[in-house]
Amino acid sequence: MEASELKKILAAYETKLDKKLSLNLASLKNINLDKSEKKTQTILIYRIIEIVVFALLALFIGNYIAINWNQTHLAISGIIVGVFTLIALAGSIGQVTLLQQIDFAKPIVDIRKKIELVNTHGLLFVKLMFLSAPIWWAYIVVGSDYLFNIDLYAHMDTGFVLKYLMVNSLLIIPLVWFLNKLTYKNLHIKWVKKTIGLFIGTKTMKALEFLNDIEEFEN
Amino acid sequence: MEANKKERFIKTIDYHKKIIYKIVNSYCPNREHRKDLEQEIIIQLWNSFDNYNKKYKYSTWMYRIALNVAISFYRKEKKRSVKNDFYNEASIFNIVDENEENKTELDYHLKLLQKFINNLNELNKALMLLYLDEKNYEEIAKILGITKTNVATKISRIKLELKKEFQNI
Repeated sequence: MEASELKKILAAYETKLDKKLSLNLASLKNINLDKSEKKTQTILIYRIIEIVVFALLALFIGNYIAINWNQTHLAISGIIVGVFTLIALAGSIGQVTLLQQIDFAKPIVDIRKKIELVNTHGLLFVKLMFLSAPIWWAYIVVGSDYLFNIDLYAHMDTGFVLKYLMVNSLLIIPLVWFLNKLTYKNLHIKWVKKTIGLFIGTKTMKALEFLNDIEEFEN
Repeated sequence: MEANKKERFIKTIDYHKKIIYKIVNSYCPNREHRKDLEQEIIIQLWNSFDNYNKKYKYSTWMYRIALNVAISFYRKEKKRSVKNDFYNEASIFNIVDENEENKTELDYHLKLLQKFINNLNELNKALMLLYLDEKNYEEIAKILGITKTNVATKISRIKLELKKEFQNI
């Protein structure tokens, strides 16, 4: 189709709309115009609750580390749990910032990216879960000490603990590589798509795919 | 004051009704759901009306909001039910003879063009709508948030596809 033909079609369409399209004032006036964007508000409330929970957890962990500062194993376990709590807290704060930046009067690509990044929040927790794998013992040590006043470390053989720490430290490098792969940019890799799909819902997956489309559109 | 604002708002909507109509038609193939999308766009436009930035044209502002709402609407998973009972059969935008069978060749081509647009992905659809509305590349770039060069490249690609599509008939 040539440009002139396209213009002819469009001109005909415009003429048709000019003649036949009208505004239904009665319907327009009946809309509750002050209805707020409920969905965005709900997500915002959820994220604020997350911030409060993680902030309280961070305070608790900070206090736990301070109390047990002289017992190295408890302090280290506390620090590890604290770091994860802070990452989750930062993620939730980032989400609230994103939500507040969503203004539909801004350029489409920018807003779509922000919306889809909000929709992919679940991936952060999947990554944190994987990253916790080599140091899951930190949660157990802190939990058993705080809840049951049992110091598990005291009951463990030092040789076993050292071996365990070494093996798990070695796991960290492949794990970081693995987690770096788990982004929307690598969705074309089959195992990445399958892994992400296994742990997150359809909504998050669709958001990740759309982030990919947005990136392609921008380039 | 509020009545005055509402009056200005209705005038703006009326003046630019074609923008909303075209976007709704392109992003919502299901007629039953069009009323919902029209309503969502109108509410969002109203909520943003006070923050309208005079630096941009009304049409630019309207395109950004309407397209953003339409893309969100399009991407929602749930099948929606028509919940606006006050509408009954009435839509905000009425078009006479919408169901009339197209008789001219031009109408047939128009239908094909609409089908072509409907098959594009969300972002290319926005690009095509802006192009067909004769927005210049700079304005399209401002609405979409991509570079002018990128706009030009994408439009020429889509035009090629369009050419192919129409060659097949």
